[in-house]
Amino acid sequence: MATVTYLEAIRQAIWEEMERDSRVFVMGEDVGVYGGAFKATEGFIHKFGKERVVDTPISEMAIASAAYGASLTGLRPVGEFQFMDFISSAHSQIVQILAKSNWRWGAPAPLVLRGPSGGGVSGGPFHSQNPEMFYVHTPGLKVIAPATARDAKGLMKSAIRDNNPVLFFEHKFLYRRVKEELPLKDYTVEIGKARVHREGRHLSVITYASMVYVAQEAAEILQKEGIELEILDLRTLLPLDRDAIRATVEKTNRAIVLHEDTKTGGIAGEIAAIINEEAFDSLDAPIVRITAMDAPVPFSPPLEKAFLPKVEDVVREARRLLKY
Amino acid sequence: MATKKIEAPPPASPESKSQSANGSKVMPAHTGAKSGQPPVSKNPHGIPDWRLEQLPFHIESEWGDGEYRYKIVGDTSAPVPPLRPSKYLGKEQTIELFRYMIVNRRMEAVLESMYKQSLVIGELYQSLGQEACSVATAYALDKDDWLGPMIRNQGSMIVKGYQPRATMMQYMGKGDSPTKGRDSGSHYGDPKTLNVVAPISHLGDSIGVLAGVALGARLQGKHVACLGYIGDGGQSTGPTYEGFNFAAVQHLGVVLVVEHNSWAYSTPVELQFACKDLADRAIGYGVPGVIVDGTDANQVYDAAHEAVQRAHRGEGASIIEAKFMRMKSHAMHDSAHYVPAKVKEYWKRRDPIARMEQYLKEAGWMTEARIAEMHAEVERFINEERAVAEAAPMPGPEDAGTDVYFDNAVDIPVKYGEVRVKNANKNRKLSESSAPGHYK
Ligand SMILES: Cc1ncc(C[n+]2csc(CCOP(=O)(O)OP(=O)(O)O)c2C)c(N)n1
Ligand SMILES: [Mg+2]
Repeated sequence: MATVTYLEAIRQAIWEEMERDSRVFVMGEDVGVYGGAFKATEGFIHKFGKERVVDTPISEMAIASAAYGASLTGLRPVGEFQFMDFISSAHSQIVQILAKSNWRWGAPAPLVLRGPSGGGVSGGPFHSQNPEMFYVHTPGLKVIAPATARDAKGLMKSAIRDNNPVLFFEHKFLYRRVKEELPLKDYTVEIGKARVHREGRHLSVITYASMVYVAQEAAEILQKEGIELEILDLRTLLPLDRDAIRATVEKTNRAIVLHEDTKTGGIAGEIAAIINEEAFDSLDAPIVRITAMDAPVPFSPPLEKAFLPKVEDVVREARRLLKY
Repeated sequence: MATKKIEAPPPASPESKSQSANGSKVMPAHTGAKSGQPPVSKNPHGIPDWRLEQLPFHIESEWGDGEYRYKIVGDTSAPVPPLRPSKYLGKEQTIELFRYMIVNRRMEAVLESMYKQSLVIGELYQSLGQEACSVATAYALDKDDWLGPMIRNQGSMIVKGYQPRATMMQYMGKGDSPTKGRDSGSHYGDPKTLNVVAPISHLGDSIGVLAGVALGARLQGKHVACLGYIGDGGQSTGPTYEGFNFAAVQHLGVVLVVEHNSWAYSTPVELQFACKDLADRAIGYGVPGVIVDGTDANQVYDAAHEAVQRAHRGEGASIIEAKFMRMKSHAMHDSAHYVPAKVKEYWKRRDPIARMEQYLKEAGWMTEARIAEMHAEVERFINEERAVAEAAPMPGPEDAGTDVYFDNAVDIPVKYGEVRVKNANKNRKLSESSAPGHYK
């Protein structure tokens, strides 16, 4: 066991996959000599050479397109977007070409597009977004958003080994704040499976990425009042783990869906619908959504703090639901 | 390069308010401090190159000691040439432009110290060594012209009419900043008075917007120049091509200043594009292009002035490639260890402000003492601006989530009076559609 950060877990996963499988290579802006804006590929170029660590011009369109093209030749590219906010610059390629490729002409696209998303760091409206739902709405893609270092590493390995295009949303707030002991041996985490982050009896908080820790803080506060929160970390957003969502609601009979993404069209609405389909009879209270405001992500700390979901929100809503 | 003039449509009716002609700052043709212009050379593709020296080196990646790094190929010891005398700038204008450059630099120096005191939130982007390019290009614009700045063009914003406090408050996330704390740095603008398109991070996305501004103004009978910037890195994006191609094909007055500052974050130009001069792109777009030394404010101004005048005459878009160096790192967190030391030394000797001081002294337009006085005056001014910015309040939580939509009860006026072309043929009626459409 060794203690590593969430970021280091991702770095190790890609490194180990590149060592294990010569079909894997990385591409992105400043990923070479500089090692990436967040240093996820630091030192890679010196080990794997500039043929497998490709510094691209500033063009997310080129990164997505070339990753796809290379995947057609049997390679397994891992493309980095410096910030996931810039995925919008490659939107057309991702939703039109890559996502439909296997279905349309039998051309599987085993590739990963990854990068930092999320707020809480005063990154402002173009370095803090959570654009995952554009892609969760796109059949043919897989969408991952891990909360722990262990999952980040295991899911990254699964993503690289997956035969489909996988979008991997890392959370930049967690990069250096999350540190965990990880197994030294090779392991993977299955895509499409949620994880019970904390067991509880009274209320389920269904969430993912950095909000797992907001839920955890709330759980610690509520525990002192005798309220036991169960926290379900989705880990994969597409495909969603319907069984795990059903199981937790059947267990606790109450659900809060918590996410950092904005409310309208956020995944909470989808999860509420799944609960409705799978576990309606188990509900003792309405489903509550706690999300960011329906607005762009603001820069100034007082604004961003007000914009993002908070521990107090979870505590307040949990108390209310338990009295329902 | 053949130029095609697109007429602005005539006023819809004789009664409608006639737009005042886009009279630029009336400037007598000047020969600058020294008479006589050194000859202009051409690059291998026929693009005029106004520089008085060629870059005598380039960067290559090298494998050594088990690592990749960047090294210089060529010589960096060449002496610094004088500034090219301006064809248009007289004494007063040159001095005013020079002062803007000092304001630009001083403001950023103060921002750096504020950053070190943790007064700046998030990242800080600087433009040391680029002041001539920001300031002299914006200085060529009229009040009615538009600016599309990028993250390092805080100097351009000041020339366009913002006070330094605006950028300072932006970086501090103040509630009184132009975006009320919603966005940071030079990400602000003003569509009403100052005519600045607020930049977004996504590189190249503003260029098509500037084309649209020129299109909208032309439909209202006015030719405005819309001057924007793109980096050696940012120009690699698709929106750069798409936006500028539209400006070119519609003969819209977009002046695209390509800021070739040699690095894009950690990426040298050698990994960004395969041609030598980005001004070559002008040939493909079908617009005039020119190369200038981005540390020579005179050259930069003259090229921008000519492109802006061309836009005012309705002759369309232009490209100016300014070559220089990003003297600071990409942003404060970056140590720029990847830049070979000799590259910085070469450009340090080409400091735009030092070169301009030399020029002013040789022209007899400013004495050493007067220059020192101006530096001191600007320092006081920036300190006052800093005090105002620091004293401004932060936004409150109640401000979060506001203004996402604009009130439908408020009318959005047509900026330049009215749409000049209402009908091409007044008598034409909506006829029954006859031709089969797609999927008939
Ligand atoms: C579409 C897009 N991708 C990535 C980025 C991240 N990014 C911000 S600035 C920058 C480098 C820009 O280099 P250049 O255009 O040369 O401008 P300079 O910083 O040299 O002024 C990068 C990669 C971005 N802003 N937009
Ligand atoms: Mg650059």
